[in-house]
Parts: sequence; C-alpha cells; structure tokens
Amino acid sequence: MRIISKENFTDFVNSLINDSSLNVIGVKAKGDKFAFGPLESASELRLDYDVTLLPPKKYFFPQRETLVTYNVGKGFSGKSPSEVKPSVIIGVHPYDIIALLHMDEIFSETKSDPFYFEKRKSSIIIGVNMQKMSKWCFASYMGSDTVEYGYDLMLTDLGNRYAINIGSEKGEQLLDKYAKGLSNALARDAQLVGQKKREVMAMTQQKLDFSPELIPEMLAKSYGESSFWERHSEKCLACGSCVLVCPTCYCFDVKDNTDLTLELGERVRTWDGCLLEDFAKIASGENFRATRPTRYRHRYFKKGKYLYDRFGFISCVGCGRCSSNCLPNIANPVSLFNDMYHETLNSGVQVTAAPAPDITIRTEGNIDYVPRLATIIKKQTMTANETLFEIKLDDGSVLGHKPGQFVEVSVFGIGEAPISISSPPTKKDSFELCVRKLGSVTTNLHKLNVGDKVGIRGPFGNGFDAEALKGKDLLFVAGGLGLAPLRSLFNYVLDNRKEYGQISLLYGCKEPRELLFTDELLALANRNDVDYKPTVNWCPENETWSGNVGVITTLIPLVDFDPEKTYAVICGPPIMYKFVIADLKSRNVPDDHIILSLERRMKCGVGKCGHCQINHVYVCKDGPVFNYSKIKGIPEAL
Amino acid sequence: MKPKVAFFDFAGCEGDELQIANLEEDILALLDLVEVVSFREVMKEHSDNYDIAFVEGSCTRLQDEDRLKQIRKNAKTVVAIGSCAAIGGINSLRNYRELDDVKRAVYGDSAKLFDTYTARPIDAVITVDAYVYGCPINKEEFLSVVKSLLLGKKPDIPTYPVCVECKKNENICAFERGQFCVGPVTRAGCDSCCVNEGTICWGCRGLVDNPNENSEKEVLIKNGFTVDDAISKFRLYFGWQERRK
Repeated sequence: MRIISKENFTDFVNSLINDSSLNVIGVKAKGDKFAFGPLESASELRLDYDVTLLPPKKYFFPQRETLVTYNVGKGFSGKSPSEVKPSVIIGVHPYDIIALLHMDEIFSETKSDPFYFEKRKSSIIIGVNMQKMSKWCFASYMGSDTVEYGYDLMLTDLGNRYAINIGSEKGEQLLDKYAKGLSNALARDAQLVGQKKREVMAMTQQKLDFSPELIPEMLAKSYGESSFWERHSEKCLACGSCVLVCPTCYCFDVKDNTDLTLELGERVRTWDGCLLEDFAKIASGENFRATRPTRYRHRYFKKGKYLYDRFGFISCVGCGRCSSNCLPNIANPVSLFNDMYHETLNSGVQVTAAPAPDITIRTEGNIDYVPRLATIIKKQTMTANETLFEIKLDDGSVLGHKPGQFVEVSVFGIGEAPISISSPPTKKDSFELCVRKLGSVTTNLHKLNVGDKVGIRGPFGNGFDAEALKGKDLLFVAGGLGLAPLRSLFNYVLDNRKEYGQISLLYGCKEPRELLFTDELLALANRNDVDYKPTVNWCPENETWSGNVGVITTLIPLVDFDPEKTYAVICGPPIMYKFVIADLKSRNVPDDHIILSLERRMKCGVGKCGHCQINHVYVCKDGPVFNYSKIKGIPEAL
Repeated sequence: MKPKVAFFDFAGCEGDELQIANLEEDILALLDLVEVVSFREVMKEHSDNYDIAFVEGSCTRLQDEDRLKQIRKNAKTVVAIGSCAAIGGINSLRNYRELDDVKRAVYGDSAKLFDTYTARPIDAVITVDAYVYGCPINKEEFLSVVKSLLLGKKPDIPTYPVCVECKKNENICAFERGQFCVGPVTRAGCDSCCVNEGTICWGCRGLVDNPNENSEKEVLIKNGFTVDDAISKFRLYFGWQERRK
C-alpha cells in the first residue's frame, strides 16, 4: 500500500490527462447526479459520489457498437482494426468492479466476445472505496461493498491523503510513470483503510432480512407462485429501466443500417432488455414471454438463479440502480426478496441454501460476428410460402454441420436470421435451407435468385446425436416447417440406413398444399424400410387428398413401435409438443427416448444476446435439440 | 426505375414536410433513390402517378376522406408522417370539447360556414403501410423508413417506451428533476431528444402498443401531480388513442 497526498494525486490525474495516448475517464457531476465521462481536468473528478447514473460497463460494452460492415452483394468485413486507446477509468466503486468481473466471465463463456475484451484488456481500473452510498445500495449484503481484486489501483480517502492499494503490475507501472511524492503506507494508514471499509456497511439504508445464499433456492421454490409475480409486476411499465442501468446486464440486439446509397452498411449491436415487450418474440409473431409478470420474473431469475446455476454467482452486486430508476418502485430486489422470504416462511416452507452448483466453464476462441460469403446455387419453390435454397460457401469450405444445427443467414441490407439446416452432413459440397417467408430477412431471401450472395455464420447449436441413435428404432414426428430440421437427420439416417433400426416418419400440415419435400416423400412410398405417414388437418374442396385427415397425433395410434427400442424425434410449432409427448408417453415411451428441436429468437447464435433463453437454457447453444428427460423440468420450454 | 413519391398534407402545420425539405445534403442522395412527383411545399409540379404517398396531417372533415381514399387508390404504399397523421396528434385535443364551441372559438360568427368533424389519424380512414412518428418527425428516422421501404424491409420502429433511450443516453429522469413526463408510455425512436435537452417527453410519438396507463397515471400522481394534470398530459397527444379504447 502506498500513500499519496491529495495535491500529488491531483497532479497524477492531470499528468494522465496530459498524455494524449490515454483516454482518461472519471466520475463527474451531472446535474445533482454523477456519471462517468472523459476528464478534462482533475478538478472535475468527484470521488465523493454516491452512485453513477450508468455503470462503467458502457466503456467495454457500449450502448451502440458496430460489429460488422458490409458492401451490399459483395461482402462483409470485421470492424476495421481501430487503435483501441487504453482507457484509465478513475473512481470505480467496489460493486462496479465486481460487476465487471461478472461480465468478464459471461462474455468469455464458451466463446469470447472480442469487442468486449479488446477494450477491457487495454483498460486500467482505478477503484475507490465508497465515501457515500446511495440510499438504494445494498452492496454490503451482496459482499460487494469492498473488493480485494479486480482493480489495478484502489484508492481510499484518508482525509488529506489517499491510500493506494496496488492490484496489478499495470497499476504499479502507472503510478511509477505518472505519480510523484508516493510513500509507503504506515501501520496507522493500513488500520485507517480497514476502518473506512468497515464503515461502509453502516452507511447501508436498505435491509435484507435474510442471507443472500438463500436467494437461488428461494427463487426456485417461488417460480410457480403466479399470484406473487402478478402482484409484484402489476405496475411494471415494461420500460426496461431496471435492466438498462444494471452493471451486470448484457443482453443485446443486432440491427443492420444501410446508408443512403443502399450499398454500404453496418451491423450494429445495441443494449436490449428482457423486460421489454418484444424481447422473446420471433418472426412468426409467437412471443415466449408475452406478459409483464413472466418478463418481470425472468429478470429476478436471471440474476438470482439462472446465472448462479451457470457461473456460481448471484449476478447482482447491490448497487441499487434498478431500484432508484424504477418509477413505480417495484424493481428493488431487497423489497422483492424480503417479501418472498416472509411469504415463504409464512407458508411453512423451509428454505436452506442449495449446494453450490457444479460449474465447468469452457472458453474456446473468439466469437466471429463476420458472416462468410456464400452463393445461392439452387432455388426450388416448395409451397406458396416456403422455398428450398441450396447454398455453397464461396471459400469452398465444407459447412461441417451436424444434423439439427442451424446457421445465421444474412441478407444484405436487411439483417440476419437463424435458419435450420435441412440437408444431411453426408451432402458436403453445399447445404440446403428450407425457408418460410415470415419476417424481413426471410421475405427478402425469397426475392434472391440463383447466383445471388448471402452471408452465413455457423453452424450453431448442438444438433442431434446421430451416433448415439445408431441401432435404435426411430420415430420422426414433424409438424409443418418442423420437417426442415428433422430432414437433416432423417436423410442422414437414410444415407446410413443399415446402421439404424425401424424408421417411421409422421408428418402433418394444415392442408395438402403446405406439404414440403413432396417428391422426396412420395418416393418413400416405394421403400419398404421406411414407414411414412402424412396427415393434413383439413382438405379444402379444391384440393385432393387421399391420406389421413386430422392433427398429427391422430397418426400415432397408426404406427406400431416398441417403446423400449424406439427414440422419437420431434419438431413442429410450439403448440404441438405437449400433445405429441402426452400421446407418446401413453404408449410407454420413456422420457429419455423423446428428443425435441425447439425454436426461439436466436439472434447472436453464441449464447450471449439473451433472446433465445428458456429459463436457464440458451436454445442457440445448449439446444436447439433437447432430450425431454432434461427439459421437462424447465417450465418455459414446452 | 426509381419509385415515384408524392407528399400530401391535411390538417397540420406542415412541419413534417418542412423537416424533409430541410434534409440538406441528404436530399440529393434521396433524389438518387426516388423521383418526387408532388410536393406542394417545395415544387409547383403535380402528378397523380406515384408509388409511395407520404401523408401529413389529421383527417378533420368528411371531404378529407375522399381525398385520402383517392391517394390510397393511386399509391402502392401509404406512409403516415407526423403525429397528426399517425396518431391524431394535437388536433384530437378538440375532440374533448363540443364541436360547436370549438368552431365558434376559432371562426367566431362565421363558424357555420366551416365544415369539420372529430379529428382522427389517417388510419381511421384508410389502410396505412408505414408510420413515421413524431412532432415533428425526425429526419434520420424518415430516411430510415424510406430506406426500409426501398429495401423491402419492415421499418424498425421501436415497440418500447422512451425510457429505454433516456437510460442509454444517461439522462437524469424528468421525475427526479421534479417535472412530469409521459416517456414511460410513449413509443421510443426519437432518441429521447427532448429529455436530452433537459425538458420532458410530451408523448408526440403516441402510446406504445401495450402501455400500462394506470401505472403511469399513478406515477404522475405519486409525484405530486393532480388527476386533472395527469389527464391533460395524456390528452395532448394520446387523445385519439385514449378515446378509441
């Protein structure tokens, strides 16, 4: 620990500001509030602040950031490697330092976000122990009112001088280069710093009535208490303020902006929030968290349960920004958790802390947000709304997908959308996508012709485990466009027919003209090693249909299968799953023999943006293929 | 061939058309993409042969309906620009008063010579394909909607309220400054421009699709405003939307 007088500290900050190679940021007054901003002089620095309007995460994960630029019809490129000027951020409170450590883990899980880390790695964090505290702050309860690591330097105000804890070599070098008049701390200074840190707890005006270790388990027990969530969210304005000011929120949206020449454009990510109405809405109009209580509950679960299960930390640092920004005053985690605690106690339910989750966090390389250029080599109309596109990557590489995976398809000037791969991996030179005209991306994809360019990212997702299914009997159940992802596995199985047992395909559409892959499916009638049964919900008078009429479940009694040897593979519209599963279970198919492919709003494809999340599961990364035995306990899945 | 576009005005201040006329250098880039065949505010020529019609102003007379229907017939795409056309706007304030009183207040003894009825947005009369909200409209958003229409993309108009943009812009909440604001129920997309300048949101872009109006009114009253204040705040721009419910 070092000691610097306040005068010398002012000189230190000014000499940082005078170095034009550094971007010096500090806490400044904004009206009667405070905000991090570029410092022009050390005199602007307000280390006596209570809380800033936004947390310092805006310097690593900005409100608006270009990920990719494009030249319509020609190609995509990564953001030009701009020199990231090292930032020195002065005056970060302990809770915000801990929040950044949370963000580091979130942004590096599975794949690292290069945009976040290029800025994070080049920055220097100078923390400060709290001298004032917002009345909403409960960092003391969350163990984040003081911090022992995660900073380069940490200041404590000792009246006429600052004590400086050195947290890194970078911090020490900064002091060596820019600070004058440093001395080593004496025993009395160390004691004073300890005292200042202990005083922080006493500033807390909030009161959590129980220990936060109970939060994950208490949430788990209250998930289904719909009246609790309805009552607490009744006044929710769905304005997203609570999540937008949160230092650990990281959900984002991605949009394409094309310039007025309609030739050049950029793909931009912006902050998004799970409280906003359309957050979980997909192109078909289905909204998986359409009501305020479900979105309100999701926020508390994300912080207190889902991220805890994934990373082992409660992703709330107690800064109190959500509470202070909520106009109807319903976002205060302390009030909500206290209510939940007392109601749980009153109902006679005992809550004990759950055992720590088993965490394995892997990081394998960087996320690549830049699509690969690809060419449409064949376009085949399937129905009035669906077309099969055959696509080849321009660099000649093989997509290398597993059945059931998906790609993110970019249409120039419009945007990107997740599309499941319809062709089996046995087809190597190109791949096929069966696309329904729904949103802007798919509608415009339909306007493209053979020879036109698109962008491809992926393949993404887990896909079906075709190896594990070898030797089993397979019952495919497809509803409507659900045939598209199943076809990648179905055709793979046909290409390796000897390795699989009995194969059945049940396929249902609303009416005959909606049936996909009709030629291929007609050809199945000539095979004696596949049992194919189609159905339509109804047949209009002007169409002909000789097959079954009725919903997909009317086909299940028509197939003979041994439930012990059979694995059912299901994909269809959201409404279909529970009916098909119920009928399979009544035929004694074990839960772990039921495999589902689910659809959600998979915006980033890499488990970061948050849109496809079902409870704690990211469909884009942990799915889209799920074993029913694993997902049946996940309430929002089916 | 460049799509032909035409601009029309009904009851309004023509401030939205003025925003377009003031696009400065962007107007040249825009003219590379479209051919303007009618725009009373900036040119003499007029043609009824157009693909996209931009309509400003509310419908306030029965005879306006015929004109709107003719525009709908001529155009492939109709875009409502500005609050009056898109949500009824300020004109709808008068819908809360007796029509005869309103006419007498404006035209005095000549009131009987003027024909008018309940003010309404143009989608109360014809189908509208796209909206550019705001009073006045934002130039950037107008260009973004035009680009979207030309690219065949659904215009990117937020469904969330202005608070989202205020938070991103790190504004101090108007309520914290002791003022009252309808941003929490107003459709965003303006980049919270008024609050950025230290004022409040008046709601010119209209209500979000599913506003929690009861909660917003409670917030207004909790912050020291009377029920009448809260109601008049809602009527300024939300008048048509409120009455339709």
